[in-house]
Order: sequence, then structure tokens, then C-alpha cells
Amino acid sequence: MKTIDCRKMTCPMPVVTVKKALEESPGQALTVLLDDGPPRENVARFAVNRGFTIEETPLDDGYAILISGSAGEAIAIRKEKVGETVMLIASDMLGEGSEELGRLLLKNFVNTLVEVAETPDRMLFVNTGVFLTTEGSEVLEALEKLGNRGVEIASCGVCLDFFNLRDKLRSGTVTNMFTIAESLLKARSVIRL
Amino acid sequence: MINDGDYVAVFNNVHRVMKAEKILKEKRLNILLIPAPRALKSDCGLAIRYCLADRPVIEALLGEAGLLPEEIYRKQGEEFIRIDAPGA
Repeated sequence: MKTIDCRKMTCPMPVVTVKKALEESPGQALTVLLDDGPPRENVARFAVNRGFTIEETPLDDGYAILISGSAGEAIAIRKEKVGETVMLIASDMLGEGSEELGRLLLKNFVNTLVEVAETPDRMLFVNTGVFLTTEGSEVLEALEKLGNRGVEIASCGVCLDFFNLRDKLRSGTVTNMFTIAESLLKARSVIRL
Repeated sequence: MINDGDYVAVFNNVHRVMKAEKILKEKRLNILLIPAPRALKSDCGLAIRYCLADRPVIEALLGEAGLLPEEIYRKQGEEFIRIDAPGA
């Protein structure tokens, strides 16, 4: 059985790491070592919401959560057959016309996603969309909450470099055009904002 | 997005909420423009979230600017409690 140590990770990295591990080894039980508090709560909630069974054991330093059940296989099959929902955020505005209104609408859209039961599997930020994942963004709190629900957040590396924002990334990971292209082509549905 | 004890100021006009956000941001107050919770009626669907510690200064600034929100609520558990008079 695989064990991964997610202690000392800040949210949402524990959920992101656990999600990846479950997808890589569908059907296999997984033990996750976590700090008590939000990392433990978020991973437990994520696993239960996805249909896994969990068993928590206190440790001297944190908690061990055993995640098991067949939900992983079901998720893998669904992912293979049905595909993912990918959201491409290619601007820091929603719609055209007033820039001020457009920025407000996109901010409100991302904050609203947190309140909606359905979430995309992945959110890809390109061009000025990377202003949302970097320092000073007003949706970082929302992106952290979405990450804790298993949404993958990724920003285009070229775009971060273009705007000199690579060291200011505050949410998710850096991705490249290969991954972006593959994600879009393999997706069940692409929502472009 | 709304934690227990947070305050939610609901506006019924997008121009008013945008002006209010701008004024409060300029003062570097810790506020967040959020979708108005479904449980609360709002014509424009927008609200501003803030905490108890910032409440007096926020509501004073909005009052000075003639931008007091239509309604203010405090999140308490799963409920939103209407706060009577803004600034009270």
C-alpha cells in the first residue's frame, strides 16, 4: 500500500497531491500523513465527497488517513470514458465592453463557483487570466477553496514570464502549452471565459 | 466565502456596489466583493463581506459617501441575521 507524506504542505496542496495519487493508482488503498487542522479536514472531506471510505489514526506528529474503496476505479473509468470539464480563463475580464465591469464579473464568477455544487476538473489561466492566480488577485481565497475540493488550478508559464509574475504565483501550478493543448483536446467540455 | 461572524452588506445597484468597493479598497480595508448569498434577496446579486473589527470604519465611510447598503446581515451558523440600522 502506498503512503504519501503531505505534512508541512499548505492548502490546497494536500488535496491536490492526494487527488493525483488516487488517480494514478485507481482501486488501491492509500495512506496519507497530514497535519491536523485544515489539511486533515480538507483531505477527509474531499475523499468522503468522492465516495471513498476513510479511517483516521492520530500520530505523534499529525494524522494518518487511510483512504480506500472502489470510488477511485469509478472515477478513473468516468474520466477515461466521459472526460473532464476544463475551464479556460484567457482574460482577467468576463465579456467585452466595460473593462471595469468585466473585471468585476470575472471576480464574481470565480467567487460564485465556490458556492456551486458542480466544479470544473481543471481551471487553466492564460494571458491576463494569470492576474487571477498571482499576488494581488482578489480571488485567491476562492481558488484555494476550489483547490481543496479537487479542482486543479494551473497557470501558463509563458504568460507568467511575460508579465514578470512567475515568482508571484500564489495559486496552483505552472503549466506549459503541451499540457494546456492536451487538456483541451481530451476534455469532455471546455468552458472558455 | 462567508465565515461565521462575518458581515455581509447587500446592495441593490451595481454602480453603488462598485463605488463602495472602490472607496473601501482605497482605504486598504479588508473587504471582498462576493455574490450575494442565495438566501438573501438582491437585485444585482452583489455584496461586500467584512469582519466585525472593520465594521465601524466601513459603515462610517459608506455613510459619508451616501453609499450605505440596502441591508446588512451577520452570518451566524447557517443563518443570516439582519442587522437593524447600519452603523448601529
